[in-house]
Amino acid sequence: MIQFRNVTKVYPNGLCALSNVNFTIANGEFVFIVGASGAGKTTLIKLLLKEIEPTSGSIIVDDVDLSSLKRKEIPYYRRKLGVVFQDFRLLPDRTAYENVAFAMEIVGASPKEIRRRVPAVLSMVGLGSKAHAYPHQLSGGEQQRVALARALVNNPSILIADEPTGNLDPVTAMEIMKIINLINRRGTTVIMATHAKSIVNAMRKRVLQFRKGVLIKDEQEGGYFDEP
Amino acid sequence: MNLRSWRFFVYHGFQNILRNRVMSLASVTAIMVALIVLGLILVIVVNLDVMMKEVESKMEITLFLKDGVTDSERSSLEKEISSWQGVYDVEFISRHQALEEWKRQLGDKGSLLDGYTGENNPLPDSFLVKIEKPEYVNTIVEKAKEIPAIEEVNYSSKVAEFIEWLARTIRLVGMGLVAVLAGVAAIIISNTVRLTVYSRRREIGIMKYIGATDWFIRWPFIIEGLILGVMGSVIATGVVALGYKFLLDRSSYINMRWGYLGIFRLLPLNEVMLYVLEASLLVGACVGVLASCLSIRKHLRV
Ligand SMILES: Nc1ncnc2c1ncn2[C@@H]1O[C@H](COP(=O)(O)OP(=O)(O)OP(=O)(O)O)[C@@H](O)[C@H]1O
Ligand SMILES: [Mg+2]
Repeated sequence: MIQFRNVTKVYPNGLCALSNVNFTIANGEFVFIVGASGAGKTTLIKLLLKEIEPTSGSIIVDDVDLSSLKRKEIPYYRRKLGVVFQDFRLLPDRTAYENVAFAMEIVGASPKEIRRRVPAVLSMVGLGSKAHAYPHQLSGGEQQRVALARALVNNPSILIADEPTGNLDPVTAMEIMKIINLINRRGTTVIMATHAKSIVNAMRKRVLQFRKGVLIKDEQEGGYFDEP
Repeated sequence: MNLRSWRFFVYHGFQNILRNRVMSLASVTAIMVALIVLGLILVIVVNLDVMMKEVESKMEITLFLKDGVTDSERSSLEKEISSWQGVYDVEFISRHQALEEWKRQLGDKGSLLDGYTGENNPLPDSFLVKIEKPEYVNTIVEKAKEIPAIEEVNYSSKVAEFIEWLARTIRLVGMGLVAVLAGVAAIIISNTVRLTVYSRRREIGIMKYIGATDWFIRWPFIIEGLILGVMGSVIATGVVALGYKFLLDRSSYINMRWGYLGIFRLLPLNEVMLYVLEASLLVGACVGVLASCLSIRKHLRV
């Protein structure tokens, strides 16, 4: 369960990116975070990753207040989360397989586990045949599949995605969304920030809409329409 | 951290070095220069130490007798000293003989001592005690000092003292130089590691999102510093060893020139180089690790 309680984030330059935000996300939910550019979506995700600290209010994940996490505990907290970004963030000098294996290496998985798990996850995202290609040999959609596989390989309970389809054409974007939806149906909580109205409206999931840092709409099976 | 993680760290440590070849080369060269100097100093000091011991071991102790010791007292004393452990010869040198010897040493200028003959002779009678092994020296000196008839015990060899002074000076000045050079090497290594940290910042960012611990991210950089330091020390030891071997091969010539000192004998290669290898590995590794830790503290915000 993820809870934002009266969360406000004011950047050092005085800009208020989120103001008094409250919401609760249950395990297994699929939630879109939407809003115009600058609404505060990425800020919300950074807060959730504990990359930045809220100015006030508290964020609680699985009964743990993130502000109580010690520096040393942060990596272990992050292992609960799988993260995907708009720009994929793959290591250019490693193959798809190695990029995914890397995520397992750094949590100390055994080579045996890695050999068993990586191909399975790659084929789940539909990339089994291109496991040994380098990122520059892959299309954007394929790169995002690798990023998804990397996010999922350690079995996170929450998948966080910041505009994962932002760099993809509509058809490819829908393919990625199918995979994310599949992951969600297997029980992983999904939180996805996006601008893409067509995707949000096609999927009919819960929608949290922000405008200039204020949560203006929290709707089950919601949509995302042009603001008046 | 398990063995797998260490394999990962070492692999990435090496990869860091290969990716950053120019700076790595500069680092290895810098630490190598410092360690060559360290090696040279060690070679010299170790040889001087042994030389000093050798000189001491050849040493004879002179026991100066008080005035007015009778002949019978003297001969019983001579017998007693001869019976001490470690003494293999005791020779009596009368004040008269001593003066003659001094005159002989002065050669042409021997006549300067003409006024000191007979009753005017300022020199005391003495025993020249020859000792089997240096480890007996101290006990013999202590025993001799307790005998009332003995005025003074002289066992300090000027040559040994000089060698000791030389070794001490070289050690002191040399270590200062090594410290400065090691400092320079540390700066270069930490700069190299800073550049790798910079070139790896993308990877570091990704590792953080995936949940790598701080130490998991740090270790490859520490190992990078360690490898640079160790490479420098191995090369430095090699260079010093080659130089020393060159010297050894020509040591017969050196012995010919300075052989009359009877003390100039270079130690065998492996004996000396073991010291040098140990010391330079230790210093190289420490400088490397310290330098990278410094860099990580400053530049790796994990
Ligand atoms: N580090 C920062 N320092 C100061 N202001 C920031 C910082 N990061 C973001 N902001 C500001 O905070 C506001 C919210 O930014 P945020 O990145 O959360 O928006 P977003 O909803 O993700 O936008 P986009 O859809 O363009 O990605 C913006 O006005 C942005 O300029
Ligand atoms: Mg954003």
